[in-house]
Amino acid sequence: MIEFLQMLYDYVNYLGAVALFIIGLHTVVTHSNLIKRIMGINIMGTAVFYFFIAIGNVTGGLPPILTDTPGEYINPLPSVLILTGIVVVVSITVYSLSLVIRIYETYGTIDQDEIAKINERENADD
Amino acid sequence: MIEQLPILNLLVLLSTALVIPLFKKRTFNMTLWFGFFTLFFVFISSIVLTYHVYVHGAFYYHLGGHAPFLGIELLIDGFATFFTTFVLGLLILIYSYSAGDATEGISEKEYGRYYILLFILLFAMLGIIYTNDLFNIYVFMEILSITTCSIISIKRKKENYTSAFRYVMLNEVGSLSFLFGVALIYMITGFTNIGLVADALPDVWALYPANIILAVGFMVIGIGIKAAIFPFHVWLPDAHASAPSSSSAILSGIVIKVYALIFVKMLFRLYGVDLLTELNIPIILTVTASVGMVLGSMFAMAQKDIKRMLGYSSVAQMGYIVLGISLFSYLGLRAAFFHITSHALLKSALFLSVGAIIYKQKERRINHYDGIGKLMPLSMGVFTIAALGMIGIPITSGFISKYNLGLAALDANQTILIGVLVFSGLLNAMYYLPIIIQAFLKEPKTPVYMIKLEKIPLTMMLPIAILGLAILTLGIYPNLVMNLIDLAVESLGF
Repeated sequence: MIEFLQMLYDYVNYLGAVALFIIGLHTVVTHSNLIKRIMGINIMGTAVFYFFIAIGNVTGGLPPILTDTPGEYINPLPSVLILTGIVVVVSITVYSLSLVIRIYETYGTIDQDEIAKINERENADD
Repeated sequence: MIEQLPILNLLVLLSTALVIPLFKKRTFNMTLWFGFFTLFFVFISSIVLTYHVYVHGAFYYHLGGHAPFLGIELLIDGFATFFTTFVLGLLILIYSYSAGDATEGISEKEYGRYYILLFILLFAMLGIIYTNDLFNIYVFMEILSITTCSIISIKRKKENYTSAFRYVMLNEVGSLSFLFGVALIYMITGFTNIGLVADALPDVWALYPANIILAVGFMVIGIGIKAAIFPFHVWLPDAHASAPSSSSAILSGIVIKVYALIFVKMLFRLYGVDLLTELNIPIILTVTASVGMVLGSMFAMAQKDIKRMLGYSSVAQMGYIVLGISLFSYLGLRAAFFHITSHALLKSALFLSVGAIIYKQKERRINHYDGIGKLMPLSMGVFTIAALGMIGIPITSGFISKYNLGLAALDANQTILIGVLVFSGLLNAMYYLPIIIQAFLKEPKTPVYMIKLEKIPLTMMLPIAILGLAILTLGIYPNLVMNLIDLAVESLGF
């Protein structure tokens, strides 16, 4: 039991990232509200970024700035990669939100099930 | 000088996309010519690169002169040059077609925007094929997915919005899974450069097998979603059917192939055959590919809308490509590459000829295609050639790719796959042949003398005719590209 708790404690960052990823995926797949699905994507993105940052971390490490103090420093590369990743996810979010606005304008709803119903009704008319 | 061409290609495409908005006040034709010249320049330069690689061998390009473990590295080899040249050549044809037709359903002010998206799309595809860095692949993949989605949603119709939304959601799930895979790889190796990771993997495989298994899973699923490999294909038919015809040709003919190329790169260059065989990946891929080949065709049969039918047919054809890859042999990969080429030609020919028919007749329902062959002999003729290619009739390029796939399956002692291939070919015949018969043997609903024959612009007619000829040429002289394909396969380490 103690060993298990110790393991949880040691890997808490990784486990947290995986949990967030699964929560996000669950939101994207199961919710019918389009805005909530976009939120799910954002949670998934955060999970991956969090994981990246956790990889780069060194316990008790120094910030990666050139100074005279010797010692281990934190790996800066993951943080740099994540900056790019954040920009990408923000742009995807903006794009999908703009799509949701268009969908709301044409259908009058942002619920996936209702949109499917409206489409079905129209196809039946053809 | 030649070493600088790859980065020059990328920059030229990107800056074209940025310059097009400046032409807003000028006539639309000027944008078209400008775009055409850029495409032509990039095409020529990639031919030069192909020749250079053929003669002098592959080379690396380091962005900003940084060492590979720090910076981004481009790898220009037989694989990259062949596929960039092919993509660009095909894109020139689709581009000149789009000059006549892309505008359907787009307001006049937005013509320019379509071309901005097109050039960014092309930039991302070239980048993906050239780059040798995992994180860079992710970034280009995101650029590609956002531009493909907007090229679908540019048409102001409701079904475009919903299908683009579904596409963007699934695509994002795919990209983030891929990124998670990259993170897992980075965690144990400390590199994102594909070459360096591949060197380090055999050593870390003994230490951290769980990480690698998870990474393989995340990456295969992530790219599987984007390449519409069978169980993850749900977004494809809607998205490809609702886009403007020229974009459908690009999406179905080229973009999903580019994802298949990343798939190949990841499997063979990053993980290598030994590791993947240990994880039973070949068997998993073979099974999903076979199921996809059969079920994709069955779904296609049930469709009433012709573009949706073509979309489902793409799902089945991706199955062929994955089948070739999953054999993990020289012959299999060779067949897969040939099928990537041939299916790109066939599917673009199908979408463009159907696009011309929709442009002229405004008709997408299959059961209204009676006698269309008599009204539009050229478009329907090319449609017939391409459809016969899909079925795998000799003298079309489709036959050669199926023949090669069959040989590769025999070579791998998997005779059951031959059965799957034949069965899937029969299924293809079951939904393509009725359309051809209907179009040529039945009488049109409106009498022929009432309508002028085949009145579509020359810019649309010419690409369709060239594609038809190209399919036949590749069917008769497959060796025209086989040398280059062999070079591409060899550059992957076979």
